[in-house]
Amino acid sequence: MIRSSKTWQAAAIAAAAGLVLSACGTTDTDGGGGGDASGEDCNFKIGAMGALSGANASIVIPSVDGAELALDQWDNDECDVTLERFDTEGDPAKATPVATQIAGDETFIGVIGGAFSGETRATKTIYQDGGVPMISQSATATDLTQDEPVEVFHRLVPYDDYQGAAIAKYLTDEAGAKKVFVVDNSEAYGEPLADRVEETLGDAMVQRDKTQVGQTDFAPTISKMESAEPDAIFYGGYIAEAAPLLKQIRDAGIDVPFVGGDGLYGADFGNAVGPAGEGAIVMCPCAPIEEDSTFAADFEDKFGNAPGAYAAEGFDAMNVFLAALDDGARTREEVLDFVNSYEGDGLSKQIAFDENGDVPKENVSYWAYKNTDGKLTPEVEVKPEG
Amino acid sequence: MSQLLDSYRGLQLGNRWDRAPKWVRSVGLLLVVAFAFYLPFLNILPFAYIRTDLNPTGSDWASVLFLIVVYMIVAVGLNVVIGFAGLLDLGYVGFYALGAYSVALFGSPSSPVVESLQSRFGLADDWAVPFAMCIPIAIAMSLTAGVILGAPTLRLRGDYLAIVTLGFGEIIRITARNLDPITGGAAGITQVPVPPGPEIDGRSFFNTIDAERWYWLALVILIIIIWLARRLEHSRVGRAWLAIREDEDAAAVMGVAGFKFKLWAFAIGASVGGLAGLLFGSKQQYVEPNAFMLNLSFLFVAMVVIGGSGNIVGVLVGAFLLTYLPERFRELQEWRPFAFGVALVLVMVLRPQGLVPSRRRAREFEDRRHEAEEAAADV
Amino acid sequence: MDFDALINGLDRHTLDGITRGSIYALVALGYTMVYGVMKLINFAHSEVFMVGTWTVLGVYTVLGAEAGAGLGMVIGATLLALIAAMLASAGTALAVERIAYRPLRKKGAPPLIFLITGIGCSIVLVETFGQVLSAFFGPPFGRVTVNVPSVLETKVVFTIPGLDLPVTNTRLLIIIGAIVMMVALDTFVNKSRLGRGVRAVAQDPDTASLMGVNQDRVIMLVFVLGGAMAGVAALLFTIQYDITKFDIGFIIGIKAFTAAVLGGIGNLRGALVGGLLLGVVEVYASQVWDSSWTDVTAFIVLVLVLMFRPTGLLGESLGKARA
Repeated sequence: MIRSSKTWQAAAIAAAAGLVLSACGTTDTDGGGGGDASGEDCNFKIGAMGALSGANASIVIPSVDGAELALDQWDNDECDVTLERFDTEGDPAKATPVATQIAGDETFIGVIGGAFSGETRATKTIYQDGGVPMISQSATATDLTQDEPVEVFHRLVPYDDYQGAAIAKYLTDEAGAKKVFVVDNSEAYGEPLADRVEETLGDAMVQRDKTQVGQTDFAPTISKMESAEPDAIFYGGYIAEAAPLLKQIRDAGIDVPFVGGDGLYGADFGNAVGPAGEGAIVMCPCAPIEEDSTFAADFEDKFGNAPGAYAAEGFDAMNVFLAALDDGARTREEVLDFVNSYEGDGLSKQIAFDENGDVPKENVSYWAYKNTDGKLTPEVEVKPEG
Repeated sequence: MSQLLDSYRGLQLGNRWDRAPKWVRSVGLLLVVAFAFYLPFLNILPFAYIRTDLNPTGSDWASVLFLIVVYMIVAVGLNVVIGFAGLLDLGYVGFYALGAYSVALFGSPSSPVVESLQSRFGLADDWAVPFAMCIPIAIAMSLTAGVILGAPTLRLRGDYLAIVTLGFGEIIRITARNLDPITGGAAGITQVPVPPGPEIDGRSFFNTIDAERWYWLALVILIIIIWLARRLEHSRVGRAWLAIREDEDAAAVMGVAGFKFKLWAFAIGASVGGLAGLLFGSKQQYVEPNAFMLNLSFLFVAMVVIGGSGNIVGVLVGAFLLTYLPERFRELQEWRPFAFGVALVLVMVLRPQGLVPSRRRAREFEDRRHEAEEAAADV
Repeated sequence: MDFDALINGLDRHTLDGITRGSIYALVALGYTMVYGVMKLINFAHSEVFMVGTWTVLGVYTVLGAEAGAGLGMVIGATLLALIAAMLASAGTALAVERIAYRPLRKKGAPPLIFLITGIGCSIVLVETFGQVLSAFFGPPFGRVTVNVPSVLETKVVFTIPGLDLPVTNTRLLIIIGAIVMMVALDTFVNKSRLGRGVRAVAQDPDTASLMGVNQDRVIMLVFVLGGAMAGVAALLFTIQYDITKFDIGFIIGIKAFTAAVLGGIGNLRGALVGGLLLGVVEVYASQVWDSSWTDVTAFIVLVLVLMFRPTGLLGESLGKARA
């Protein structure tokens, strides 16, 4: 027997105290706080899932801000909608619990995201299981809609196969290049994009090289470039590596046009590349905001800086959901049906979704942005064939 | 903080637990286990403040519990390597990755390996190695990797072993990322299978929404692993590890073959890591190389050391705290890594023996501290 | 597997590798010195390097140094940045020693604890630049890549005759800088009185204190010296690559540590040899395959070297007696 009866007495008192405290009540944690999703109440939440912190947040935060702006500008007295931000750091492992949380909470009626393809890949089955409609503002991996399409997933950006073709077209037509040097960063975003560019270029590609995320010294790639003597360079990857790469290219005296994919379309691109980046081209499937729209001014008013990457797409995604509520949808199925058949004029493009969740090709435009004085300014639109 | 924890040492919980009669211990353990199974449903205030999904932007509580348990399994496995055998392993994430990739490569109908098997043997498009078969495959692959890593390197001294194991972890990840035709490359492998179970509501038993079932499965496996680890600790092998850790030369003189037992430690640790990786990959149903970065290795070592290296209860506490706290305090958002670093430094400086050190380790620390103080006094 | 690309430009690739490796070598000096004296792997050293790069950026910003400045400005700004970086890095290293490692030393903690504490310090430093400072000051702090003005413009200085290999001023500066610093440090450790103290503590701390060497002072000196070397590396790094970011230290740190082990951890000359060898191996591997396999190649080379020479290429020597 335990010698000290005092210990048992203490334990008994603690147990009794616990039981008394439990009479304080329970939390309503099932379903996260009783919102009755079907019925007269129009009290909903829209989730925004993406990398809100970390190195690549600059490509994601503007789109979530754009969605918030759309919510602010919405006018509907019946309905009360809040935008909840979930930070996944772009990591699929962190995105899965977030998706489970959203899918299990009936008050969430839609999700704007995932922002990156990896986390979308990991979570789209979760959202499908829960019937939560998704509209992604920037997940561009081809397989998300082409390999295993799920009904709930839609996206407002074209997939990388098309972006690759558009980039190749820009290189051959606009830049007039016949010997393109293609580099990628070996990651899930840069590599398939570069693959597709290589495929479309065909003979116009002179050499292909790979780099790594986190690499700062690109001397081997530079020496390969010097042997290959290209007349244009394409880089598929992110700003963190593109900046030193571009500087080393210019330092080596290679002056040919430098073209990057939409991973470089961030507000910090101009600052990161510095003077060496003058004239660099960034291709993005995001159209420049119309001059007559107040979007840019409103965005600046609310958030203090100009709209960044995919801000217009985030704005549009939120508006599609809000239009569903305007139309009377009050359950996830109703919102999904609405989104599936939606056709309308968005800020970034004419919006409609095909059976896989993609925007039809005719509605998509690619733009080449030139880095002038540290800012990305639209240069020319490119329309790939087919 | 040390005084606080030392005063609790006055309670002599460890000694009382050992001296208590067997039925008290069994009932106590049963209560703890029952409580653990009950946790996903914990709804009673104020205890329910422990949940992570109290506000809408939190994470799903059962999913967080699952991850905690998976990392606890990792911590117990790594404890065998670091705590029992005294080997510094900075690349444990490599075994974790191998476990996840095993179940993905062999169990997923869309993995390149399975697809080549399908075309070679003319099998159906959705054929893959059944989940039950993937478990021994995962354990075998990680165990083999542990042996392959250990054989040339375990003769090296401790700090050299550290950099080599670190390199090994990176090699696994980079190879998985680069070998597109075999591992799916940076895009990873989808459709990773789940454990078999009855269909409920038109969904398989282990699906993505009902995370509690995953949590309970992981809990069962954790309990088995803990039991096995305890048996190991008190076995001949465990005593050999203790001897090697204390003084390898003296142990060799007494006939303990250092290299053989160290290799055993590596292999066992690797298998447990692989098992944990299998659970992780299976729940997420998607495996990609970026989930296995070097930082995760450091986190694993931190769990073991902060909890109390060598003490199974200690490493469970370490794994729990380091996984739970960042999720619970999601409000801190971007400040979480900073808070994590500060907490790491504080705990280590204020309580270097770990939060729940094994009694042997605590005595070791006392001895070393006295030695250090005497040495300082001599100068 | 493209061996032709390697053989054809072997001279060029070797130069690239030595350039890259010189930076590794300078940072490796810090790892190796601390290990030689304290037998501890200082994981916070990578952030000591990172702090140096930010100091360089700060000096350039304060002076308003830009590319294309006059010669006086170039020399002045670079020298000032060098001194500032050395001071800042040494200061950071010293701070880590006082705050994190000294209390542990006083408690006689085992090496694994130092390791975890070093990792914790590293995280704190990284997050300070990535989060804390950006919350207070905004850009350029934060988690983005930042441009460092290219004050010293890259120009070809001369061409090696016979090989037809152009050598730029930045490359020359880096390689010479690394060699000069290593020679200076080596001379200091072997010839000066303080250096004798360092060697004594490395060999046998207790006997050294019996002989009148203040162990705490020696350890502080070692951290300061290692930090200063990292500061030099930081300046040379920014000269060559023109960028910095909050986590720039992480990968450089791992590679420098690998280089230190490769050459023989605790051996100053080994740090140079290891660093240069690692840089050359990486560049060669990038030519034969591509840059995505460099790390795997480097680690396999490390394992092979360690299998045949378990204490590194030049072995441990800081604590070995010299005649």
